[in-house]
Amino acid sequence: MSGGRTGRLLAVALNTFRETVRERVLYNLIVFAIVMILSGLLLGELSIRQEERIIKDVALAAMDFFGTLIAIFMGVGLVSKEIDRRSLYPLLAKPLSRGEFFLGKFAGLGFTLFVNVAVMWVGAMVALLLAGQGPGGLLMLKGVLAIYMGLLLVVALALLFSTLTSSAMATVATVAVVLAGRYSDVVRNMRQVVPGAPGWLVSAAYYVIPNFHNFDFKGRVAYGDPVPAGDLAWVALYAVVYISFLLGLGLHAFKRRDLN
Amino acid sequence: MSEGPAVAIDGLGKSFNVGFLRRRSKPALTDLRLRVERGEIFGYLGPNGSGKTTTIKLLVGLLHADAGTASILGFPLRSRDWRRRVGFLPENPYLYDYLTAREYLEYVGQLFGLRPPERRRRAGELLEKVGMASAADWPMRRFSKGMLQRVGLAQALVNQPELVFLDEPMSGLDPVGRRLVRDLIVALKAQGCTVFFSTHILPDAEALCDRVALLREGRLVEVGPLSQVLRVDPSHLEVLAAGLGADAVARLPEAAGGRVPVGDRWRLEVAVGQLGTVATAIEREGGRVLSANPARQTLEEAFFREVGEAPPS
Repeated sequence: MSGGRTGRLLAVALNTFRETVRERVLYNLIVFAIVMILSGLLLGELSIRQEERIIKDVALAAMDFFGTLIAIFMGVGLVSKEIDRRSLYPLLAKPLSRGEFFLGKFAGLGFTLFVNVAVMWVGAMVALLLAGQGPGGLLMLKGVLAIYMGLLLVVALALLFSTLTSSAMATVATVAVVLAGRYSDVVRNMRQVVPGAPGWLVSAAYYVIPNFHNFDFKGRVAYGDPVPAGDLAWVALYAVVYISFLLGLGLHAFKRRDLN
Repeated sequence: MSEGPAVAIDGLGKSFNVGFLRRRSKPALTDLRLRVERGEIFGYLGPNGSGKTTTIKLLVGLLHADAGTASILGFPLRSRDWRRRVGFLPENPYLYDYLTAREYLEYVGQLFGLRPPERRRRAGELLEKVGMASAADWPMRRFSKGMLQRVGLAQALVNQPELVFLDEPMSGLDPVGRRLVRDLIVALKAQGCTVFFSTHILPDAEALCDRVALLREGRLVEVGPLSQVLRVDPSHLEVLAAGLGADAVARLPEAAGGRVPVGDRWRLEVAVGQLGTVATAIEREGGRVLSANPARQTLEEAFFREVGEAPPS
């Protein structure tokens, strides 16, 4: 017999991917790709010299929106559903460690989202080509990459809550943090709306809640403004640090948890 | 191969918090001390809530112990070295219903690091062994409870374990399935595998186990070989008689107690000094005595004696 930590982690990841495919999550991609192509044709007819901007804007917004939905609603069930159904019991008595299981689940949903975003990107390129525009090039790819990193951060958040509580509570908590992270300016300026809010609390919330604005290059991509490689690298670093922190917390909680 | 018993438990304890408003700690297992020797079939018995599943979950790492230590195949519980050599079937297993039985077993093979041809071969062998070959490629969401139990058993054997923990392995099985599991357990022992299983079905335990442990309210009340747990009653004999109808049995003297039909025979309980009288009466009624042995408790009687409850009438 052979096989190591990486092999087991990949086995869990591939099985997680297979689960999402068989639960028909990826079918929405096909629908989305068709809608993108059709909207590209329609927008080409309706707008004058704005086709490229509108198609890119709609495509990136749709990738972000659908991807976030998948990341939240699949992510919160990754561990809690396995605990509720007790399907991980026979697996954790095998050489598979809790850490390998946990990270394998993250990698599996990460791969699902990768395929999701890639198919949507192809759909967007087809729509651009049908509207008589270029496929979007490197700038579009940078926008897509930033969205993907944001989605991985949402998965890490969902996975953390999924180890701490039930699927329902984890959904509420993840949606709340994602919304707060998307409206981080509102959080920062909370004292203007709620003057009594303690300053330290507002500051702590602003810095602790992940800032999803960092991953939003939609406007720059749609208007053709350059996205320097340094900006993308900074976002990648932000994502890596934040994801590592969240996964570390989640893993710590999962390792300590009794599976009754 | 490592040294030491298959399982050694020393003072293991576990409590759970119960209650919603007034949280309090309720002991589920207290100071458990137990050894399971290599190659034996060990039955772990007790009423619901006695701590059987808690013990098994502590041993396979699903729960963290509050107190005590344990070793498996000579390795400390925290070590990962024993996991390649152990199989585990949880109670009422839920297996991924989006997979087929074959896919599930191959997935488990992957976790053990088996190469693709080897895990395909092993999955096929095991599905044949548990009588599931014809349903190997059905999605498991179509499986009955008994079919899931069989696949659950197969996944516990993927790595050809030296020790298997089976939590209620007969649960949900029809008589054919129960027979299959019993045969499988006997075959595992013949291959040198240690079997640690919990069950509510006492006749199965009686038929299979070398030793049993009885558990009550999280405490071990008795452990030992069946011959020790099932106490011998020196004052009575168990007489097996053949060739008697129900009418003839009714005419036997009062000294022939018990009177339990066993197929076309009768099992009678007779005081040692009354054997001659009863044997003569049996022959007078046209029957014959097949055997007379010291009376022994059934496991069910021993179980109810130890757990302090009356057996169902």
